[in-house]
Amino acid sequence: MFFRLIADNFTRRPRRKFLTAAALSLGMAVATAALSVSLDVGDRLSEEFKSLGANLVVTPEADSLPLEIGGVDFRPANSGAYLPESDLPKIKSVFWHNNITSFAPVLDLKTMLDPIRKVPSSVEVPVIGTWANHSLRLSDGNTFLTGAARTNPWWSVTGDWFKEDANECIVGQNLAKRQSLKIGDRIELQGGELAPRGRAQIDDESLTVTIRANVPLVVTGVLSSGGPEDDAIMVPLNIAQRLADKLGQYRKLYVSALTKPEDDFARRDPKTMKPDELERWSCSPYVSAIAYSIKQVLPGSDVRVIRRVADGEGKILTRVRALLWLVTFASLLAAALAVGASSASSVIERRTEIGLMKALGAGSGTVGWLLAAEQLLLAFVGGCTGYALGLLLARSLGTKIFGVPPEPSFLVLGLILVLAAAVTLLGSALPLRRAARFDPAAILRGE
Amino acid sequence: MADLQVGVFCFLRGIRMSDRRSINRSMFWRVLRRSVFANRGRLFVILLALGAGAAITAALLNLQVDAKRRITTEFRAFGSNVVVSQRTSRQTVSNSGTFSASILGKILEDAAGRGENASGKSIIPSPFLYVVGEVATESSPKFKVVVVGTEALGLVNSVAPTWKFEPANGPEWTGENCLIGSKVAARLHTTANSILHITLNNEETTCSAAFTISTGGPEDDQVFAMLGKVQRAAALQGRISLIQIFVPGPPQQIQSYIATLQQEFPDVEVRPVRQFTEGEARLYSRISGILTATVAVVLILTALCVMAAMTNVAMERKNDVGLMKAIGGSVRRVLRLFLAEAALLGLAGGLIGAAIGIIISIGLGKAVFGVAAQPRLIVYPISVALTVIVAILAAYPLRRLVLIRPASVFRGEE
Repeated sequence: MFFRLIADNFTRRPRRKFLTAAALSLGMAVATAALSVSLDVGDRLSEEFKSLGANLVVTPEADSLPLEIGGVDFRPANSGAYLPESDLPKIKSVFWHNNITSFAPVLDLKTMLDPIRKVPSSVEVPVIGTWANHSLRLSDGNTFLTGAARTNPWWSVTGDWFKEDANECIVGQNLAKRQSLKIGDRIELQGGELAPRGRAQIDDESLTVTIRANVPLVVTGVLSSGGPEDDAIMVPLNIAQRLADKLGQYRKLYVSALTKPEDDFARRDPKTMKPDELERWSCSPYVSAIAYSIKQVLPGSDVRVIRRVADGEGKILTRVRALLWLVTFASLLAAALAVGASSASSVIERRTEIGLMKALGAGSGTVGWLLAAEQLLLAFVGGCTGYALGLLLARSLGTKIFGVPPEPSFLVLGLILVLAAAVTLLGSALPLRRAARFDPAAILRGE
Repeated sequence: MADLQVGVFCFLRGIRMSDRRSINRSMFWRVLRRSVFANRGRLFVILLALGAGAAITAALLNLQVDAKRRITTEFRAFGSNVVVSQRTSRQTVSNSGTFSASILGKILEDAAGRGENASGKSIIPSPFLYVVGEVATESSPKFKVVVVGTEALGLVNSVAPTWKFEPANGPEWTGENCLIGSKVAARLHTTANSILHITLNNEETTCSAAFTISTGGPEDDQVFAMLGKVQRAAALQGRISLIQIFVPGPPQQIQSYIATLQQEFPDVEVRPVRQFTEGEARLYSRISGILTATVAVVLILTALCVMAAMTNVAMERKNDVGLMKAIGGSVRRVLRLFLAEAALLGLAGGLIGAAIGIIISIGLGKAVFGVAAQPRLIVYPISVALTVIVAILAAYPLRRLVLIRPASVFRGEE
């Protein structure tokens, strides 16, 4: 009888039930969308922050102090220390290798542009050697695509990046303007002296002849970075190594890693921690923990956190997350209110029916159970359709805001069903309690 | 009851006799009052729905206005986003890459002049003079290092929010003594307040090492001293090599600031720090997108909620409407009565709810940004108006009242 009553109720007034279910699923759809988007938002924002570029920098430990002004190192050539390029694949073998999204080694030097063609007069230019889109062979046999195009996503290159194995380069926009260089131009960079110096005797005069390893290059693009690179020439790392006579070496490594915002615990010195604390510390992707693990695999290196990027990221991410959870909570609250109100009205409109049931001898408990079962069934149906609708809504919202749809999650489905059940029951509880106090006679008389 | 019914009768017939007019109007309000308070429970549900909707809308609107501004001031964490440097190349060391410091004063005046840009904290340009010099302590030998002359106020406020100062809880750097980059400090083996000898251009000055800083950038290899001191020692009075500025505000505002500054000072190059301005712009558009979407969603849900309650109203009033129609009330007049009721409820719910919402948003702003959100008065009328509109739109189910036939109501049919 119980089930028959419920089934009868659904089939007898399909339109009204449909309206209630529609309101319910609309509310739940919004709740689903809000939840899916905000569950996803942390990852999305971390990725968004990747556009700020590298948050770690690796330099040789034994380096002399760089005399860097405006991105140009004023140290005399060949001073300072270098790190071996062959160690680089090890970075992807650290515990946090999945968090390391990209890295790019840099070897910078200053040399003469066009030392032979003295018209217009040759000038000294900063040259930066790096990887553009380098596929790195890892020890496990996989390849990893990385380079400056990934660590510095805000750089824009008109034309193309240089190819790794060709004599090609890209020129900073300011330098290109000053030296009137265009894409397709050929330039030459002065290389290091080739030993030994040749000596020639011509008519009793002793001449010193220096042979240099000059490198001819083709300009393939113009770089706009908004930084010191606008005044420099970027070349493949191996060409810079040839120019500087530092084969297989680099001077600086920029690493871009996905990190967790640092808290007070993260800022502590790992050397002063107890073993269990150290374990917890190195198991959270704090930027300092990642720096620590990189230092372990690159001997002789000094890994520093670029505070401007890492701390700024952390601070803003914490704020934005709090803001988004708040907003999600607000929309959940609104959805709950809407669903609660519609289920309350669906109970109120059935006063006569309740009165009849009570007149026929049904107790308040039986009536309550019947209505609760109905509401739960409605909540389940509405919650499921709402979830499906909400996924669509979340897709379009996520695509609109972040360009990427959020992953559907079953956690959200569970949450939504629980929320739907709780809200419909709560919403109908209030009118039900009033209905329990109804005098059947008055209701049946139509008063 | 009898006079009420006479009043209803006159009112519904729309008797336009001059002596009846005042009765007519007062009757309208009387019927309205009676029907609003007829069912306290239902009144409470509708008011709760409208009020909660208005509260959430007002809180979100206020937070949206405030959060956009707040987020852009949060970008201060990234440090300066506009750089002023010399126009020609910066290729040679020391003197040639500098320009007159008088620009600094003009930028300050300019910032004070444009009040709207100074939202949050005011714009503080931070001058830098880079000189290669030599440093030494009593115990360690001399070596070359980049010495930076700057001013404490700008540095601490707009450039260095993420720099890690050691000792961290010391007094704020006032420029009286030196800041030493962590790598320089490691090489010098400085202890707190050891005396540093700086040689610039054969001129020696001393200062005490108050703080060690670590930034992960080139600052780790530099020594910071007071601008005046460095200018005097390097014989570069009134010259600087760089100005860094933090400009708060949305991306367009930063762009227009750069454009006007460039126009005013054509001798120098003004450019955005694209690494940060682009990330900031993207983040800003994401966040305002999310906030706008949420406000829209909450409004839709509020409408849904009120619509459910209004369906109830229509159901309960079947008898009343039947009676009104039977004694000659036109559908238009009956509907007007109900719409007025909806609008009145919307107004009441909106007035109460929006006020609560704004108070809530102040606390929420404190929770999210650490600073209480400023209540924007413009938000209040907007959310009240939105609530009234939603209440009237949500009265759509009342259209069913048109279909009611008085005869079937009186016969007790459904």
